[in-house]
Amino acid sequence: MDILVCMKQVPDTETKIVINPEGTGIVTDGIKYVMNPYDEFAVEEALKIKEKMGGTVTIVSMGPQRATEAIRTALAMGADKGVHLCDDAFEGADSYSTAKALAAAIKPLSYDIILGGKQAVDHDNAQVYAALAELLDISHVSIVTQLDVAEDGKSAVAQREVEGGAREVIEVSLPAFIACQKGLNEPRYASLPGIMKAKKKPIDVIDLAKSGLSADEVGEKGAKLKIRKFFLPPEREAGKILEGEPEELATQLVKLLREEAKAI
Amino acid sequence: MAEKFVSMRNLRFLLYEIFDVESLTRYPYFQDHSREIFEMVLDTGEKMGRDLLHPYFAEMDRNPPEFVDGKVKVLPMVRTLMKECGEGGWIGAHASYERGGQQMPTLVLNAFRFIFCAANYSASVYPFLTGGAAQLIESFGSEDLIETYVPRMFSGEWQGTMALTEPQAGSSLTDLATTAEPTDAGYYKIKGQKIFISAADHDGVDNVVNLLLARIKGAPPGVKGISMFVVPQKRIGENGKLEGNDLLTTGIYHKLGYRGSPITQLSLGENDDCRGWLVGEPNKGLRYMFQLMNEARIDVGMSAAAIASAAYYASLQYTQERPQGRPVTSKDPTQPQVPIIEHADVKRMLLFQRAVVEGSMSLIFQCARYVDLSHVLDGEEKERCELLLDLLTPIAKSYPAEMGSLAVSAGLQCLGGYGYCDEFPLEQHYRDMRIHPIHEGTTGIQGMDLLGRKVVMKGGKAFMLYLQELEKTIEAARALEPLKPHADDLQRATETLKDVTGRLTGIAAEGKIDLFLADATLYLELFGIIAIAWQWLVQAVAARKALDTDSIEAERNFYTGKLYTCRYFFAYELPKIEGLARRLKACDGLTVEMKEAFFED
Ligand SMILES: Cc1cc2nc3c(=O)[nH]c(=O)nc-3n(C[C@H](O)[C@H](O)[C@H](O)COP(=O)(O)OP(=O)(O)OC[C@H]3O[C@@H](n4cnc5c(N)ncnc54)[C@H](O)[C@@H]3O)c2cc1C
Ligand SMILES: Cc1cc2nc3c(=O)[nH]c(=O)nc-3n(C[C@H](O)[C@H](O)[C@H](O)COP(=O)(O)OP(=O)(O)OC[C@H]3O[C@@H](n4cnc5c(N)ncnc54)[C@H](O)[C@@H]3O)c2cc1C
Repeated sequence: MDILVCMKQVPDTETKIVINPEGTGIVTDGIKYVMNPYDEFAVEEALKIKEKMGGTVTIVSMGPQRATEAIRTALAMGADKGVHLCDDAFEGADSYSTAKALAAAIKPLSYDIILGGKQAVDHDNAQVYAALAELLDISHVSIVTQLDVAEDGKSAVAQREVEGGAREVIEVSLPAFIACQKGLNEPRYASLPGIMKAKKKPIDVIDLAKSGLSADEVGEKGAKLKIRKFFLPPEREAGKILEGEPEELATQLVKLLREEAKAI
Repeated sequence: MAEKFVSMRNLRFLLYEIFDVESLTRYPYFQDHSREIFEMVLDTGEKMGRDLLHPYFAEMDRNPPEFVDGKVKVLPMVRTLMKECGEGGWIGAHASYERGGQQMPTLVLNAFRFIFCAANYSASVYPFLTGGAAQLIESFGSEDLIETYVPRMFSGEWQGTMALTEPQAGSSLTDLATTAEPTDAGYYKIKGQKIFISAADHDGVDNVVNLLLARIKGAPPGVKGISMFVVPQKRIGENGKLEGNDLLTTGIYHKLGYRGSPITQLSLGENDDCRGWLVGEPNKGLRYMFQLMNEARIDVGMSAAAIASAAYYASLQYTQERPQGRPVTSKDPTQPQVPIIEHADVKRMLLFQRAVVEGSMSLIFQCARYVDLSHVLDGEEKERCELLLDLLTPIAKSYPAEMGSLAVSAGLQCLGGYGYCDEFPLEQHYRDMRIHPIHEGTTGIQGMDLLGRKVVMKGGKAFMLYLQELEKTIEAARALEPLKPHADDLQRATETLKDVTGRLTGIAAEGKIDLFLADATLYLELFGIIAIAWQWLVQAVAARKALDTDSIEAERNFYTGKLYTCRYFFAYELPKIEGLARRLKACDGLTVEMKEAFFED
């Protein structure tokens, strides 16, 4: 099986996010970046499929120079090689122009299945994989918590989370994009020999020219979505403490629920 | 947000900005390493600490090992942890490539272990004790022993231990009595009793390999007659299967803290069938053990600093959240209370903790750097590192252990009543910490080691080298205007140290050994405070320089915090040497004269 994993480097979930004074983005100074947590499930699943069926695991990532760190982490977990879309032109992308660039990098590769996280925890859009699957003309299954690839590698059965804790079981022909959700597996830790070997594994860097795309199609220029402003949600007002006898309290509460909160 | 127990920023500061771990990669032995690799090691350590160890911090304390039907049962997480550490290559990380290791610098491994110890000290002991024991076999054992045991220890399938202590021989290893009788079959028959042996029996592994000290029959008395043996709990039988080795666990102890790891009482050779295999040459056991002891002792200091780090962050968080009282300048009861971190006295307690934690860490990393350099250097330079390491080991063990206990107490105090209750982790840290002044040689033994051996060895050569190191740092600090007062303070402290040392060695020269060593523990304390002041000044020099160039706010806060903590140390801790010096120079033999009978009633 040739297995691809789409992976993004994102700010560590422990980071205190500060919005820049212009409201155009976040302050990136001193931020620690990590592999998108949902992508860890994808890497782990890819490695498990490889262990069972043989093949290779290739990490595909678009991001600035520093994204190589996250690619190396995946290589240290056991992936075989990396493809790094890295060019100033890719900056400021939305889900669509990201998918466009990823598709350009993926098309020349041979692949039987593509895995990725169900969303990246920075922008939380959860759209890249759907757009990518469209561009590659393959199916996708989202929010997957269990995956069984058929022995012949031609199809897979995926369970996905739906409302109310129910599960939907989907059989899909491969290649397809599988968007992974927490619960699918327990991502392994990078091993020390893995870390030492990661340095020697190849990472193919793809710039704009190599991607075969034009500057207008990618990054901010190719984006369909314009971010106007970043701001924090307004602070919640302080709660009210009602005083009085239980009966009065009940009356007050009903009144408030009806008139102020308009909840009843 | 997850509970913080370690500052990754500080670990990186020590590794890259103070001890320049990257410079090690210039040496062929470390040439495959790079900052990128170190970063992945730190990230993995952080993840494992947070997800694998820390969740069991309280659980391991509340559900300690049980002794059932002659076997010790531990939580299933121990097996998981050993497996992860084994498969991950972390137990044998230090070893050479030929031995299945990754030649990882001690500096980086120390940082990795620090995270584990801060996350859950009891849990961290299982893998790291195994690594240490395996290292002994690797260093001194025959190829046969190495092949048989080391791979299975590195993989986490078998636990390693260090089995020294006996009922009548704790501090006094001279009095070890376990015997080893040679046979024609290549092994020795072991007979005796061991007590307090950490992790020597548990169901988180398939076998236990004890690195055990015993006396070959007919060996000379005292430490010259002690040999080292590999004594497995189960030996490999003729068919390759594990079989009993006449090694019985007779009980486990119930401890104040560090409860997640068992300490066992062992009975060896009750049926005359306990086999041990000699490591290295006969009668050199203690020497071998001591070669590892430096590192084991520094590990104790590191663990102590790590527990104090976890306590510091727990208390810091509490003081930021707990509203209590009002500023002394505005006692208006209609105004809301302020978070207690705003009170000067609470800040003092936090600064004290940070000064102890990060000062200790710096000294430990300094020692780790000497360990790494002594691997790759030769001749005089190598000797210099080894001598400094020898000299500083008792400090690196005892300062964090003794002062760490006080630091955790200050952390507990920050929580007021809750510090004393088990809803918060402070009471457990307080209990866990208390082992460190005891094991791997008590503080009293470290004091005598420092004054009686290390300071005077080779005609005081190590001591002179140490003074040169202090001098270098004083010079570097003098070059930076704001640090000049600290440079002067450390200069004066150095004079005090020389003065006290001269006075004490003078007493020794007069042959009054009892007076010379009577207050060795206080000498250790004085020496320790000065060593930590030195390390704070080393850090302050780097922080001061970084502040001139760094503009990122979080970074500036970090460096400014370092400078404040350094100031705190010089203002609050360093002056303590004056009282100690006065006492030490008196040499009046008060404690020597005091008679047992006078203690009664
Ligand atoms: C939790 C725990 C884990 C341990 N793990 C291990 C292990 O894995 N392997 C192992 O071999 N041992 C282990 N030990 C044993 C430990 O190393 C000893 O407890 C320690 O060395 C002290 O020995 P002792 O308990 O016999 O105390 P003692 O030697 O009886 O000391 C009691 C007091 O007397 C003082 N004292 C003793 N002799 C002198 C002297 N000559 N001059 C001045 N003061 C002196 C000591 O400083 C101490 O304050 C462990 C102990 C504990 C509690
Ligand atoms: C075992 C136990 C038994 C107890 N028994 C009783 C009992 O029988 N009856 C009873 O009434 N209470 C009892 N207490 C409560 C005890 O008296 C309080 O815990 C104690 O007074 C501290 O208050 P606190 O816990 O709220 O800590 P806090 O007041 O929150 O103090 C936390 C930290 O902040 C510092 N701090 C607080 N305010 C200031 C300030 N203004 N300036 C500088 N520093 C400040 C404190 O010194 C402390 O270090 C008991 C507590 C325990 C643990």
